[in-house]
Amino acid sequence: MQTRNRGVPGLTGWMSNPNVNATYSHRENGAAVTVQDIQAVSRFTIGIAGGLLVAALVSAPPVLAAAPQGLLETIHRHVTVTSTVTDNGDLNPYAVVVAPVSAGKIRQGDVLVDNFNNASNLQGTGTTIVSYNPTTKKTTLFAKLSQHLAQCPGGVGLTTAMTMLKSGWVIVGSTPSTDGTTATLGRGCLLVFNPNGELVATWTGPNIDGPWDMATIDNGNTATLFITMAGFDVPAPTVTDAKTGDPVIVNKATVLRISLSIPPGQPPVIANQTVIASGFGARADKDAFLIGPTGLALASDGTLYVADAIGNRIVAIADAPTRTDSAGTGRVVTQDGLLQRPLALAMTQEGHLLSCNAKNGQLVEVNPATGKQIYAQWIDANQAQSPPGNGDLFGIAMAPDGNGFYYVEDDVNTLVEAVR
Amino acid sequence: MSTLKRVARARAKRAAWSVAGLSALLLCGSGHPAFAQSQQPSAPAGQQVQPGPAAAPASDNSGFLSGLGVNGQLLGNMWGLRPFLGEYGMTFTLQETSEVLGNVTGGFHTGFTYDGLTTATLQLDTQRAFGWHGGTFDVSALQIHGRNLSVENLGTLQTASGIEADRATRLWELWYDQKFLDGDWVDLKIGQQSLDQEFITSQNAALYVNTAFGWPAVPSLDLPGGGPAYPLSALGVRLRAHPSGPLTVLAGVFNGNPAPTTVGDPQQTNPSGTSFPLNGGTLAIAELQFSFPSTGGMTYPGQSAVLPGTYKIGFWYDSESFADQRFDNTGLSLANPASTGIPQQHSGDYSLYAVADQTVWQDSDDPGHTLSLFTRIMGTPETNRNLLDFGLNAGVNLKAPLPGRDSDTLGLAMGYVRVSPRVAGLDRDSQFYTGAFTPVRGGETYIEATYQYAATSWLQLQPDLQYVFNPGGGIANANGTARVANELVLGVRTNITF
Repeated sequence: MQTRNRGVPGLTGWMSNPNVNATYSHRENGAAVTVQDIQAVSRFTIGIAGGLLVAALVSAPPVLAAAPQGLLETIHRHVTVTSTVTDNGDLNPYAVVVAPVSAGKIRQGDVLVDNFNNASNLQGTGTTIVSYNPTTKKTTLFAKLSQHLAQCPGGVGLTTAMTMLKSGWVIVGSTPSTDGTTATLGRGCLLVFNPNGELVATWTGPNIDGPWDMATIDNGNTATLFITMAGFDVPAPTVTDAKTGDPVIVNKATVLRISLSIPPGQPPVIANQTVIASGFGARADKDAFLIGPTGLALASDGTLYVADAIGNRIVAIADAPTRTDSAGTGRVVTQDGLLQRPLALAMTQEGHLLSCNAKNGQLVEVNPATGKQIYAQWIDANQAQSPPGNGDLFGIAMAPDGNGFYYVEDDVNTLVEAVR
Repeated sequence: MSTLKRVARARAKRAAWSVAGLSALLLCGSGHPAFAQSQQPSAPAGQQVQPGPAAAPASDNSGFLSGLGVNGQLLGNMWGLRPFLGEYGMTFTLQETSEVLGNVTGGFHTGFTYDGLTTATLQLDTQRAFGWHGGTFDVSALQIHGRNLSVENLGTLQTASGIEADRATRLWELWYDQKFLDGDWVDLKIGQQSLDQEFITSQNAALYVNTAFGWPAVPSLDLPGGGPAYPLSALGVRLRAHPSGPLTVLAGVFNGNPAPTTVGDPQQTNPSGTSFPLNGGTLAIAELQFSFPSTGGMTYPGQSAVLPGTYKIGFWYDSESFADQRFDNTGLSLANPASTGIPQQHSGDYSLYAVADQTVWQDSDDPGHTLSLFTRIMGTPETNRNLLDFGLNAGVNLKAPLPGRDSDTLGLAMGYVRVSPRVAGLDRDSQFYTGAFTPVRGGETYIEATYQYAATSWLQLQPDLQYVFNPGGGIANANGTARVANELVLGVRTNITF
C-alpha cells in the first residue's frame, strides 16, 4: 500500500538520504587518512610507500562495495509493537496505514490495521480496525462494524485496501464471505469512516467487486484512489481446473481509479471512475481465500506498480492518474526470481519497491527503473510454516521518516516495526 | 463520567470477569494448552497441534457444525461461549486425540486397545483483558481415558503412544508469562509447567505417535516421576531470551519431582495435578537454540533457496537423591538375598542433549513440498543411578507427499535407548543369585512409519505402524522362559479440534 501526496517529491535519490550520506562521507574520510599516511612515510622509502599504497588500493574496493544498494540491508531490528486482536477476537491483520494527520481519535503517525477474519478465523468476516500510537504504545479500537452490513453486498470483511486522507476520512475495502471461502463471496464495497471511526458512507457499483488493495494521491480537497478489484466472478475453491487441479483462474480482475471531491467538513464523494488496468488473473484458494492482483504503489512520474500475485510478477501501468483507458495488464517490471506470490507493495524514499511474499516470509526490494531484484530480507522466519513465514505476510507501510516500515504477521496477529 | 473513569471501570469489570473465569476453571479442574498470541500452542508429548493462525473465540454467525470443512474448529463459536470469553481477553481451545493401537506380533500378548485424551486450555491475554501489556495466564486440564497398550501388552521402554497415561481428569499446566524489554524479546514464565512443551523439542519429531518422539526416554525414565512432563508438571520459573538474530536461550528452574514423593506411581500420588509439591530437589534445565533463516537475514538473486534448520544443545541437572541401580547401602547387590534392599543413594543427576531439525530438499515449484531430517541425542555419564544412559531419535518427514495434499505429512523414523551397564549388572546378579531366567537387558530399538492426513482444518487422521526390536531392552516374557518377542504395532490416531 502506498500513499503519495501531490507536490511532495516522491522519488528521492539515495544520495539525498542523510543517513546514507553520513555513511558515505565516513568512508571518504577513511580513504583520505590512508593517503596522508602514504605521504608521511614517503620520506623513508618509496618501497614502503608503494606497499602502503597497494594495501590501500586493495582495501578500498570492499569498502566502496559495501555502500547500500537499497533499504533492506540497513534494516537490522524487527520489533513487535502490538497485538492486532480486538476485543471481539477478530484475527488476521491485513492493511497497514500510517495516519498522515491528526483528526478525531487518530494522531498523526498512528498506525491503522484492519482485520480480515472474525474470531472463528473465517476469512472475509473481519470487521474491525485498530489504531496503534507509537508514542504512547497503546492500541485502541478505531472502528467496528456489523458483519451483516446491508448496504455492503455480502457483508463486511475488511481487506488490504485502506487509506487515510489528509482530510481525516478513512476509506477501506470489504471483500466479504460468510463461510470463510469464496463460495459465499460477496461483491463487497468501499466503506468511508470519519476520524472518530463512524461509518459515514458506503460505495458500491459495477466496477467495485472484491476491493483488495489501494494506493492514493491526496490533494486535500480532492483525492484519487487506485484499487485492485480481485473478486469478479471468482467461484468457490472447489471449482478446479482439470489440468492443474487448482481452483480455476478467472482473468477479470481490474485496477479501478476513483476520483474524489472532498467538500469542507463533508465526506468525500465519487467524481468519476475509470478502469485503468484489467485482465489480471484471480482465483480462490482454500488457505489464502483469494489470490489476485494485490499491492499498489505509485511513483512520482505517474506509474502505478501492481503486484500480480497469480502471474508472480510486478507490472507497471503508465500514466495511471491521467489515462482514460485500460492498459490491460501493463508492462512487466520483474517476474519470478525472489518473488513468491507478491502481495502488498510499498515504495521507499529512493523509489524502490518493497514487495511482501505470500509463500515465504521474505520482503523483496526491487528497483523498478531497471526491473532488478536487489535482494530480499526475511521479515518473518517462523518455522512453524514451510517454508518459514509461508502465508504470514500481507500489509506493509513505510514509516513516516522513511527509514523503516511497519508490517503485519498473520500467524501471530501482530504489528511489527522494522528499523535501522 | 469521564472517559478515563469509564475505561477504568470497564477494565476493572473485565479483570474481575477474567479472574473469575480462570478461578472457576481451576475449581472445576478442567482446562487445555493454548493458543495465546505469542505463546506456542501446547500439546502432550507425541500429540501434534495443528498449525495455523491462533485459534480464538468465534463470531456471531457460526453455530453448531456450521463451519464444517472450513472452520479451524469443529464447533465454531461454541454457541457463543468463545465470543463471550473473547470480550474478556480469553481464548478457549478443546482438542480430542483418540487412537486404536494394537500389537499383532510379540509382546506379553497381542491385541488392540483404545485410548484417548481430551485437552482443554483457557488463556487470558492481559492486554485485551485489562490493558496490561505482555502478560498471559494459562490453565489447562487433561481428561485421559482408555487403556494403556504399552503397559498391558508391550512392556516397552519407548512406549507406543505419547498420550498413554493413567486414566484421570487432572490439572496440567497453570502459569503466568510476562514479556519484557523493548520488542518483548525476553519473557518470564512462572507457575506449574510441563517441560515437554518447550524443552528438548523437535518440530519434525512431533509428527509421530511414539512417546519417545515427545518427551524423550532418557529424562523420562531417569528423572523422578518421569520429570515435569505430560501428564505431570511442576512449579518453577522459566526465562526465554530471543534477541534479534538466530539465537534463543531457554532456561528454567523447577521442583525436582512432579510428585510429592518418590515412592509409588507419581500419577497416583498427585492424582488431580493439584498437589503443587515443592519438597523435592531442584531441576535446572537450559537450552541454546540456533535457527536459520532468522528474521533480518538476507537473500540475493540467484542464490539457492535457504533450507531452514534449527539446532539445539542443552543440559539438565536434578539435585534430588537418586537410587543406585545395582547396589544397596552396604555395597551388596540388590539381587543378593543378604541385601538390605535399600539402594545406595547418589546426590544429583544430569544429562546433555542435542536436537537438530533440517530441511534438506524443497520443491522449486512448490516451496511447501519439502523433505526434512531430524535427530535428537541424549546421554548421561551417571550410569550408576540411571535406568537409561543413552537415547537417540532420527527420522525423515515428507510434507505434501501427494498431489493436492499440501497439509499432509509422511514420516519414517526410529528410536533407540540403551539400558545402563549398571542395570545390566543387576540382571546378571539376579541370574547368579536366583537361577531364574533373567535376561541381561541392553538396547531397545523401534521404527515408526506414519501418514498424517489432514481431512479438514480441524480433523486429522493418522494411520501408524511401529516395529519394536528387543522390547524393554530384552525383558522376559509372561512365562519367564524367553525374551519378549519383537512387536509389530498397528493403529490409527485422530486429532479433532473443537
